[in-house]
Amino acid sequence: MAEQNNKKLIPQSPGKPAGDELDAAGKSLSEALRISFIILKIIMVVLVVVFLASGFRTVEPDEQALVLRFGKIRGVGEDRILGPGLKWVFPYPIDKIVKIPVAKKQNLPINSFWYYQKPSELLPQSPQTRIRVPATLNPVIDGYCITRGEKPGQAVAASVSSDYNLVHCKWQLTYKIDDPERFFKNTYTEDAKPGQSYAEVIAKSIKPLLGYLFEDAVVTAMVNYTIDEAISSQDRIPKHVKKLLQEKLDRIESGIAVISVQLTDITWPRQVDDAFLASIKASQKSQKTISEARGYAENTLNETAGPIADQLFEALKDETTPELVLSAVEGEEKELLWSQLAGQAQEKIAGARAYRTKVVETAKANAEYLQKLLPEYRKRPELVIQKIYQDAIEYVLSNVDEKIVIQPAEGTKGREIRVLLNRDPMIKPESEQE
Amino acid sequence: MKNITITIFAILIVAVMVLYFVSFQVREIESALITTFGRPTREITEPGWYFKWPAPIERVYKFDSRMRVFEADLGETTTKGAVPIIVNTYVVWKIAEPLAFFNAVGTIKEAEGKLLSQLSDTQNKVIGGHYFAEFVNNDPTKIKLEDIQGEMLADLKQPVRADYGIEIKTLGIKQLKISEDVSKDVFGRMRAERNRKTEATIAEGNAEATKIRTDADSKKTELLAAAEARAKAIRAEGDAEAAKYYKLLEEDPDFAIFLRKIEALKKYLEKRSTIVFSADTEPFELLREMPDIKPKK
Repeated sequence: MAEQNNKKLIPQSPGKPAGDELDAAGKSLSEALRISFIILKIIMVVLVVVFLASGFRTVEPDEQALVLRFGKIRGVGEDRILGPGLKWVFPYPIDKIVKIPVAKKQNLPINSFWYYQKPSELLPQSPQTRIRVPATLNPVIDGYCITRGEKPGQAVAASVSSDYNLVHCKWQLTYKIDDPERFFKNTYTEDAKPGQSYAEVIAKSIKPLLGYLFEDAVVTAMVNYTIDEAISSQDRIPKHVKKLLQEKLDRIESGIAVISVQLTDITWPRQVDDAFLASIKASQKSQKTISEARGYAENTLNETAGPIADQLFEALKDETTPELVLSAVEGEEKELLWSQLAGQAQEKIAGARAYRTKVVETAKANAEYLQKLLPEYRKRPELVIQKIYQDAIEYVLSNVDEKIVIQPAEGTKGREIRVLLNRDPMIKPESEQE
Repeated sequence: MKNITITIFAILIVAVMVLYFVSFQVREIESALITTFGRPTREITEPGWYFKWPAPIERVYKFDSRMRVFEADLGETTTKGAVPIIVNTYVVWKIAEPLAFFNAVGTIKEAEGKLLSQLSDTQNKVIGGHYFAEFVNNDPTKIKLEDIQGEMLADLKQPVRADYGIEIKTLGIKQLKISEDVSKDVFGRMRAERNRKTEATIAEGNAEATKIRTDADSKKTELLAAAEARAKAIRAEGDAEAAKYYKLLEEDPDFAIFLRKIEALKKYLEKRSTIVFSADTEPFELLREMPDIKPKK
């Protein structure tokens, strides 16, 4: 009983009354147990802490995240999507965080509408090497698009095939994920292997889907255009493709948004290269012919009436409307145009003006001359006449190159004289040349 | 105290282990099928946490419920009117009903095989019902490419869903081609068409240029005519004004005419002329004889 009491009194050393050796053994055992329990406790605490801490996840700035709680997306409405930052979720297996790179723009080149090129043809070529172009396109290896024929009205009969053309083209698609929830739920992606970035895995996984839909959109769009519309690389074809593609992506709820569609390269088949080049050359030549004609027209009008030629021509055309209808302003405008006239027309008018001045001045001078002479003439008519007459003869004779005076023939019989004149009046007689 | 902690811990571990055996998660991206003693009994298409009997009794098969794409081989088909066309069709599909899928096909690979045969049937049937001109036409309003794709989707959708539990999300033609032989003819036609166009371009250019030149010439003629008319008017004005001075000449018309003649004579014989005079003409009569004049008284 005493021992028992002892035990109760000293519970810290239960083995003591059983003897020293036993005491020591029991003590060390209990000590070991105690320590291992402490260690176990620490480990447990650490494990719990680690377990809880494993719920921390960083969502990068270009990502958005979804949390799956027991497999189902957690939250309602906008809460379902987590933005960038440090997040805590319940650790596995309760919650699972799925990060989707939404802001990242991805490019996808589409070359399946281009003709087949042997690996050797893809190497940089010197311009001299001629590539042998096959006469046909093999549908298995050569890619192309069909474009519609030109003339509407032809080939409308349902059974007749239309005169479609073939064209090769290369495209580039730029896209991003804009609805992470739809994307995650509906679009197949492979699981990321260690060392792979999730964005890369996504890009690789959705390549077939996007590629097929894209090709579909291109085929569907291109049949609506002619080869000339396609080759003149108008913006509306990529826009059309973009619209079709986005519609398809939305219809299957892929959560992918098309940022841009670019037509990076387009050409006619190599088999008809010569005809197309000739056509381009012809249209350049045609442009040249037209611009030459324009130059001629401009020159002609300029020579005719100066820079205002066209305006004047328009104004003249208006003249068909009765003069009375023309307002004073319009009349003035026309006068202004006439005053700015140049060229041949101007010469004509200037000539007329000069004539007018000359005629008037001459008439005036003659009249004045007569007026001046009249008093004297009335007094001595004969002398005045003689004076004027002789002065005139003198003046005339002083200017004449050759003067010949002939005695008039006596009687009725005429006399013949021959005078040798210079054939060219511009050649001066020898005497004057010296 | 110690014991309680340990007990709770032990219970937790056991609970987790039990839960591991009797429950499972279905994620948003999958659907599941439960078999009881190997017989399919339940299908789960909603994500969440579910219970089941442990392993030998009930087993869980999970299926990825996300969209997959599948491309049929490039195939030559004949359109209505016997014009051949080569199309390459793809489908976007997903496992919609795990039970039906499990019973009918089971694996993705087998599903693709079934899809391929169904698709080529549909393709031949639908394309055979349309003219080539509905694929490609000069008149864009007559192109029915999108309708044809829609028709193929409609034709494929129902049977595939019923037979294999597969949902077709969309379907499309990703390559539209012609056979190699035809391509040769097309090139011939393209070349002819281009040559015709080249000629037309040249002809149009020449016509345009000629028109521009002719227009300019006729404008020139009209402008000069207008200028001429104006010039005439100006000259007439001058003549009219000059006429006013003629009145002054009326005082002695004979003298005026004489003066005018003198003026004219001077002008006509101004330069480089040869004159043959009769010796009777004044003042050359002096050459014949002396004048008989005497001073006047």
